[in-house]
Order: sequence, then C-alpha cells, then structure tokens
Amino acid sequence: MTTQATMPHPPAPQSGRDGFAQLVRAEWTKLRTVRGWVIGLVVTALVMAGLGLLTAVGGSSSCQSSGGGPARSGRACGPTLTVGPGGEPVTDSFYFVRQPLTGNGSLTVRVTSLTGRIPPANGNPPLNPNVSPDTRPGLVSWAKSGLILKESTRPGSAYAAIMVTADHGVRLQGNYTSDTAGQPGAVSAASPRWLRLTRSGDMITGYDSVDGTHWTQVGTVQLAGLSPTVQAGLFTASPAYQSISSNFGGGTSGSILPSQATAVFDHVSRSGRWPARTWSGDYIDAAGGSGVGGYHQAGGRFSVTGSGDIAPVIAGSDAGGPILTLSNLLVGTFAGLIGVLVIAAMFITAEYRRGLIRTTLAANPRRGRVLAAKALVIGSVTFVVGLIAATAAVTLGAQIARHKAYVFPATWTTELRMVVGTAALLAVAAVLALALGAVLRRSVAAVTIVVVAIVLPYILSVASVLPVGVLDWLLRITPAAAFAIQQAAPQYPQVTALYSPGTGYFPLAPWAGFAVLCAWAALASGLAVVLIRRRDA
Amino acid sequence: MSALKGRGTGLTQERGTSDEGRRCAEAGRGRWAGLRRGKETLHAEWTKLRTVTGPAWLLIATVAATVAISAAASAAVRCPSGIACPVDTAKLSLTGIQFGQAVVAILAVLVISGEYSTGMIRTTLTAMPHRVTVLGAKAAILSGLVLAAGGLAVLGSVLTGRFILPGHGFTAARGFPPLSLADGPVLRAAAGSVLYLALIALLSLGIATAVREPAVAIGIVLSLLYLAPIIAPLLNQHWERHVEQIAPTTAGLTIQATSGLRSLAISPWGGLGVLAAWAAAALLAGGLALRLRDA
Amino acid sequence: MEATIEVSGLRKKFGPTLALDGMSFTVQPGQVTGFVGPNGAGKSTTMRVILGLDAADDGTALVGGQPYPSLRHPLSHVGALLDAAALQPSRSARNHLLWLAHSQGLTARRVDAVIEQAGLQTVARRKAGGYSLGMRQRLGIAAAMLGDPPVLMMDEPFNGMDPEGIVWMRGFLRSLAGQGRAVLVSSHLMSELQDTADHLVVVGRGRAIADTSVRELLAAASRDRITVRTSARSEAMTVLAHAGATVAATDRDTLTVSGLPPERVVALLGESAVTFSEMTPHRASLEEAYMELTRDEVEFRAQPAAEPVEEATS
Repeated sequence: MTTQATMPHPPAPQSGRDGFAQLVRAEWTKLRTVRGWVIGLVVTALVMAGLGLLTAVGGSSSCQSSGGGPARSGRACGPTLTVGPGGEPVTDSFYFVRQPLTGNGSLTVRVTSLTGRIPPANGNPPLNPNVSPDTRPGLVSWAKSGLILKESTRPGSAYAAIMVTADHGVRLQGNYTSDTAGQPGAVSAASPRWLRLTRSGDMITGYDSVDGTHWTQVGTVQLAGLSPTVQAGLFTASPAYQSISSNFGGGTSGSILPSQATAVFDHVSRSGRWPARTWSGDYIDAAGGSGVGGYHQAGGRFSVTGSGDIAPVIAGSDAGGPILTLSNLLVGTFAGLIGVLVIAAMFITAEYRRGLIRTTLAANPRRGRVLAAKALVIGSVTFVVGLIAATAAVTLGAQIARHKAYVFPATWTTELRMVVGTAALLAVAAVLALALGAVLRRSVAAVTIVVVAIVLPYILSVASVLPVGVLDWLLRITPAAAFAIQQAAPQYPQVTALYSPGTGYFPLAPWAGFAVLCAWAALASGLAVVLIRRRDA
Repeated sequence: MSALKGRGTGLTQERGTSDEGRRCAEAGRGRWAGLRRGKETLHAEWTKLRTVTGPAWLLIATVAATVAISAAASAAVRCPSGIACPVDTAKLSLTGIQFGQAVVAILAVLVISGEYSTGMIRTTLTAMPHRVTVLGAKAAILSGLVLAAGGLAVLGSVLTGRFILPGHGFTAARGFPPLSLADGPVLRAAAGSVLYLALIALLSLGIATAVREPAVAIGIVLSLLYLAPIIAPLLNQHWERHVEQIAPTTAGLTIQATSGLRSLAISPWGGLGVLAAWAAAALLAGGLALRLRDA
Repeated sequence: MEATIEVSGLRKKFGPTLALDGMSFTVQPGQVTGFVGPNGAGKSTTMRVILGLDAADDGTALVGGQPYPSLRHPLSHVGALLDAAALQPSRSARNHLLWLAHSQGLTARRVDAVIEQAGLQTVARRKAGGYSLGMRQRLGIAAAMLGDPPVLMMDEPFNGMDPEGIVWMRGFLRSLAGQGRAVLVSSHLMSELQDTADHLVVVGRGRAIADTSVRELLAAASRDRITVRTSARSEAMTVLAHAGATVAATDRDTLTVSGLPPERVVALLGESAVTFSEMTPHRASLEEAYMELTRDEVEFRAQPAAEPVEEATS
C-alpha cells in the first residue's frame, strides 16, 4: 500500500494554537494508553534511581569499621580526609618555615631559584611506591614556593600565599580554591622575583616585583574570621609527578610518584609584631609527615625543600580516601537513557509498523506539527520521569552514601543543575530517538544509533587506553557531551590531575555540553520533518 | 484479482507428481527424519536471510565499523620515547569490537523480531511447526555468518594494528613485538574476539526471541552490553570485581587481554565462558518462550 | 491419508475470556465447509489451534488424523491462508515462496509453477511490501498451494476483495472441493458463502452451534413461512394475528406470516375482504438462517460485560 499516490498537503483549516493543543492532547492520549509504555517508563525510573542507590551502597571503598557518621576514616579507609574552610576536601601538605605574626603586618622576600627532583622518566611504577627510585633534576608544572600566611599549622586551615611556580609564573592563592596570576615567567638568579604578603585585618594582599622597588598588586584574599595571631613564613610544595596519565586516558591512571622542589630565598624582611625571635620548620601534613622537606638557613639566605601540595582535592583522584561525587549517584542515567530511548523510538515506529501513521497524518495533514507534538509529549514525559528518578537518586543516595564515604560537597545550584540537567538530558535524547525513529522508521536501528552515540564515547573514555586528547574530542562533538551537565566537582587549573569522565570531569562546560546534544536533536528533528513531509506515509 | 480469472484450478495441476514426492519423503520418517528436517529448516532460514538485503549490509557494517574504529584507536595512541607505556597492544588493536558488537546485536535481534513485527512468524511456524528446530537453525546460520564477518573484522583490526603501532613508538625494541597471530596470546585475543561476537549474537537472538518486541529487545541487549562497564568502576573493589566477573561484556572481553592477566577479574577463557553461559541461558529462555507461547 | 480436519472439544482461555468452549466439528473431503460466526466467536483461534500456532487448553485438533505439529512436511498436508499481510515487506514474492519451498524440501521449480499459476510472474521479483491487498491475497494463495495439499484452510479470504475477485474465489474454492480436497473457509458474512459452501459450521461464543449441510439449514429456516404482498398491510396483520398467526412486517407492503398453513391464510384474507397481490412460500436466504441461529450470540455480544476476545486477524 505504500505505492499510493502522494497525499496532497492541504492547508490546515483549524486555527494554529488551538490545533496544536489538540494534537498534543491526542499524542498524550496515545502515549498513556499503551500499558507497556507506561510500565516501561515506571521501570526506567526505578532502575535509574536504583542504580544510583546501588552506587551509594556499594560505591567507593566501604568503611564499615568507622561505625556511622561522616567517614572521617581510620587507617582502613585510607588517608584522612582534610577539609578546607569552604567544606571541600583539600590537600594541605608542604614544608613550612614559620613564625607567629600578631595583628597586621607584612612579609617580603626575594626568590632566586626554584629547582627540584622528579622520578626517572623511563621508570616503571616502582614495586614499593614508598621507596623513592633514583630521581633526576626537574620540576613538576605546579611546583610552588613563596610566602604563606596561615591561620594555624592545622591542615585545612585558612591561608593566603603568594608564590613562584615552575611553569605558571607568580600566583596568589588562598583558601585552596582561589588562584590569581601575577608576573609570568620562571624564576632564576638572573631573573629573581620579589614577593610580598600584607595582612590588614581579614584582608591579605599579595604583591610581586622584579626588582624590589617597583611593586605590583597581584590581588587580595579575604580570610573571614582570621585569628589575631597567625603563622606566616616561607613554604615549598611540589605535587606528585604523573608520568603517563596525560598520554593515556581512562582506566589507566598511570603512576603517581612524589616529587620535590627547593627554593632559595633572601632579603627576608618583616613588619608588624613578630613575637618569636627565630624561624622554625615543620612539615605540614594530615597523614603525619610522610612527605619530604627541610630548610637550611645561612645568614639571610634560606633554602626550603618540600613536597606535597596546597590545593583542592580532585574528585576521583585517589589522594583523599573514599570520595563519592553526586555524579556517581547519577550513573543510573545510562540505564534510564536506554529505557527512555526505547519508548521514544517506539512512540513513532509503532505507528509505521501498524500503519497507524496514515490515520494520524490523515487526521492532521500538517505533518511537521504532528512530529512536533510527539516530540513535546515524549520530551515532557521523559523530563518528568527523569526529574523524579534523578531527585530520588541524588537526595536518597547522598544520605546513604554519607554513612559510608565522603560525599563531595556541591552547592545547591550545582545540585539543582545536575538533577534538572539529567532530566533535560533524558528529554532531549528522547526527542533525538524520536526524530531518528521517524527518519529510519526502524526502532532497532534508531535505538542502537542513539545509545551507541551517547554511551560508547563515554565507555571508551572510562575504560580504554585512548589518549585524553582524542577522548576529549569525542566528548565535545558526540551527543555524549551532554554528560557534562552531570559534572559535580569543579575543575581547577591550578591542579594537575586526570580530568576525565571516569573521574567525573568533562571537557565542555555543563550547559555547553548539553547544547551539543540539543544540536544533534535539532539536526535529527529537522531531517525528520523534511522527510516526513516529503515521503509517502 | 482479474489476472486470476479463468485460471480456475491451474494451481493444482502438479498434484499427482508432488503427491508421489511426498510419499517418498514420508518413507524416510524415523531415525533420519529429524536430521532431514533440520537440514530443510536450515535451508529455509538461509534462504530467508539471504533474500533480504538488511543482513548483508549489517554484516558489512560490522566488518567496516570494527576495522575502522580499531584502526582509529591504534592511530590515536602514541608511545613517546622516554616514558613507559602500559598498553596492551593486542587489546588496543581490537577496540572496534566494542562498536562491532552493537551492529551484531542489531542483526541478531532483527533475525527474529523482524518476523514478529510483521506477523511472518506465523507463516514460519506453520511451515515449520518444530519450533526449537527453527530457533536452532536461526542460531546456527546467524553464528556462522557472524563468525565469518567477525573473522574478517578481527583480521583487519589486527593487521591495521600491526601496520600502525610500530610507527607510533610501539616497537619490538621497547617490548612490543609486531602483532602476529603466531603469538599465542595474540591468537587467543583474536580468535576469542571472533567467538565473542558470535556469542553476543546468540545472546541477542535468545533475548529477542523471548521478548519479541524489537525495540525492547535491543534495549535489553544494549543494557547488558554497555551498563556493566560503566557502573563497575564506580563500585568498591569487591563489588567491581564481582560485576566484572558476571557481566557478559566485561567478562567476555577479558579474552582480548594479552598482558596483565593477573590483575584481571576473571581469566580470559573463563570470561568467555561466562559470556557463553549468558548466551546459552538467553537461548534457553528464548527457546522455552517460543515453544510454550502461542505464536 | 484421509483429507479431513477433525476438531473435538477444544477449549482455550485468553486471560479471563473464554475463546474456545468445547469447539467440535469435522471437515470432510470433497466439499467446501463454511466456518461462520460473528466476529470474536473463535474462528481464527480455532484455525490457529489446528495449525499448532496456539495451544489449546484442552481437546484435540487433527489434520488427516494427525496433530499438525507432528506432520513431516506440513504444507503438503494443509495449505493455510491466515493473514495475507504476514510477510516481510522487503522480501520479493518469489523469495518468500522460495524459503517456504525450501522448508518443505521443495525446489524452486515448484515455486515458479505456483507463481505462474497465481498470475504473479510479472511482479514476483518485486518487494512484497509494495503489493496491493489483492496481490498479497494471491501470494497467500500461492503459498497455500505450494505443497499441493489435500486440505485447505482460509481465514476470511473474501476480505478486501473486489466483486470480480469474489466471483473468482468462489469458483476457485468450488474447484478445489471438486478435486476431492477438504476446504475450510471462515467468514463472518454468511452472504459470502452463499452458493459456495456445501456444509456449514456455525460458531458462537467459542463452540459450534450448528454443524449442518446448507440445504438442511435453509429448509429449517424456511419452514412454514409465507410472504404476503398487500396494499392493506395493517388490516391484514390484524386479521391474521387474531387467527393466531405470527406476523411480521418486512416491507412497506409485504408481510411474513408463520403459524398458519397457506390455505388458511388465503381463506382468512378472503373472508375479511383484504386484497393481496401475491402470496408465496418463503425461501429463507442463508443470511436469514444464520441470523436466526446466531441471534442469541449477537444479543449476548451486546452486553458490554461479556465482551468476547478480539480475533487477531490483522
């Protein structure tokens, strides 16, 4: 019967808005009166939320011994988690040469060199990671040394610091997450850097200079509620050396080996009240001083060696013990996606199979609007289903998970974006499947193409040896980019880490990634409208 | 119907001769009847499969997609001099199987649900009332075709890997001999990947037979194929290992490993065995459903 | 082998609905047996049970004395046309017949023969999805005749046919019976079977309510009824009803009278000076006989609470 003459497209007699509302109503009736689809949507929501709860229960390493409460963890759960002033987990591990400072004051210093040692290049991961293999001269990109002013020596306490770095010039950092750039360029005897940190109440200001006379303000850091007496002085830190992680993505995180850096300071000058006469050196570390470090003072010349980092912990890195991000709880999205895509594809292909499409198009000759009504209905329904499931997974899941692991904190706006974004992701993916179903008129092909286009790039990025660069491109141009909407933890440029989907990071900003999926859906919908108008029903 | 006018009983002119033929055929009833029935069913299913263009295209797509993705993966990875590269080159060169399996799943699902969605299954079961034989014939032809296509796909993938990888720093001098099927582990990875695709096809066929509705069948198959590799890494090590041991793809793809066997959740052949068990269970469920259910 | 279909005591439930409730009948060789009943009476289900597609909860269905699933080459025993649209649209008619032939151990020669005989030569290599309903029906008949079977079953073969096609189909069915084959043809319209069927199995609510020859059925339905044509219809009705007859007005000027012999009717009308232009013994149409038989069933069907199962013919 498909050889019938093309159906002419008479102008629609009914008024626009009214007609479309009727169409939407008709499509809604079609959707809700197929029992299998309704059951399918309910099952989809249950599986989606259920997998989130499963991750909450079985996710990360379990810390049953800690017996309820937030897992501050004992040894069984890995290193103690340090929490910064903002509530986020942080690394606070460096060598600190310090004196107490009471009230306002400032500290100025000149840095003449920053050198270090890194693990051998061709070294396979050592059998015993605690034993440093033969090292060679070199610096990791974010090796840092300079002045720091810190609430106390307690790891995780508030601070502001101005520093020279190996590859990123002078930086003013504070409270683990903030980072402001100063003078660019590396430090050397020929090109030294002058640094100054000034306290005025809660306000800490950082300055840099190349000659000690012409100063530039780099920025300020506000440390609310700072004690009258703080610890201030010189510091050096050098983050772990990651030999191959940037070459091979996904599952192989590569070897992470400690590195160390040494900075040489002179022209140390202080103003304000510094009650102590002498400097003292400590290795600051939550785990109890496992890092390397020390200092040497000869006249006005200091040489400070240290390792570790003062920075936020990156979700998914193994630095902080059992850490779960909210996006882990949304892993059920993949299952939900498959369920939703199946129903969305069937929503259109079932019409072709049974010839119902002829009835539908005879009743509504404006075919593009039929498709639009279908898209609106399936999109809204899957949005609601996704919203319910995502809300359940995130709120219930986080409650369960907090008893077993540290759940990476997220602001309520982030949480809202993740939940609403996940629902929107399902909705737009459903529209994509619907459009492809209209183009191909085959549910199996439509479902498979959308699932593979969305899921496979993600799987490849989680569990393959492809280079990060290639995976990033996959996650920029394929519909899988939309998973960026689920990124829970921010990405910090001042921390070198494996920012991959496996650890919850995506190359595009949340809504930009979502826009990529929308673009695909729009493209497919456009094609579908053209084809459904042109083809015989 | 005008063309039929006046023909009357034309359709029955051969009655005499064909009657004789039938008698002869029926004389063979007994020991060999089952075997002959199997042969005829195979012949009919083969005719069915080769007289539509879909399966051929899907098989071509399987080979093309697998080789293309494998080649792209091999081409994307470089091992710069001076650093260690913990890369299993055989597994890398077979990356395309991850994609090829989806195409194979489509083919397998369509082999049976194409009949359900058109209602032709009733014609099939009227002509061949022994339903389990029908499913068996479909499974045999499907696995034969997938083995052939999978063989080509894997051969192409390994060859491109052999061709590309040495130029990207994976040289024999650094412990990466060129991929060769004469090498035991590589042969296991290659032959195992071919078997893997065939087992995925059987798994999909079984599920599609049990479920009937094509979209639902492919949804279940894709969930089985792709959910475990996503969820497992998010679980703690204990659970992760268990999921990787029992899920069809994570277990089945261990057959591709040629290095680091100790750290695998399950041994290569053991993993393929798990997938085989899945396929057998799915076929059993499909066979039972086909047999017990009204067509 | 005896060319028969024997169905006895078939019972089948679909969920809460009883689709077959003790269906029993026999189809004899050499005649066309009409299988009639309202939609949902269980015709298609019975045919599907005979073909082994559906399993009955109870009872047996034998083809030539054997259960269908045990037949070696079933298409050489029974040719069936259940649903002409039940084929994969992307396969050509010839290839559709070819796989069917291969499943029966037949060769392509036989396929070409039935294609020619069904008049499909010019379109046989086109995709069957593009066929008109009539062409599909012909393809279905070609498939049914592939194994040259002694028993034929056709489910609603007249559906969607043009008048010419219906005439042809009637002749075709008659000729099949004439060759000594057993032919079972279902229909929900008795009129389609007029002049075609020799024997009738009338079904309602899942069982055979009549299993009789067409001649007997017509005779029973026509029994002592008289048609009277008169311009004074109401007077005639009053007179005859007073005399104890059952009178029904069937048209503006005709009455159907029963319960009185024709002589008495003539006398009564003469006595009352009611004029009439024509008086004939009534010859019931098959349709009327059928309506009479299935009246209970139809009334039953009107009750919404006992909605019968929908027949899966499409």
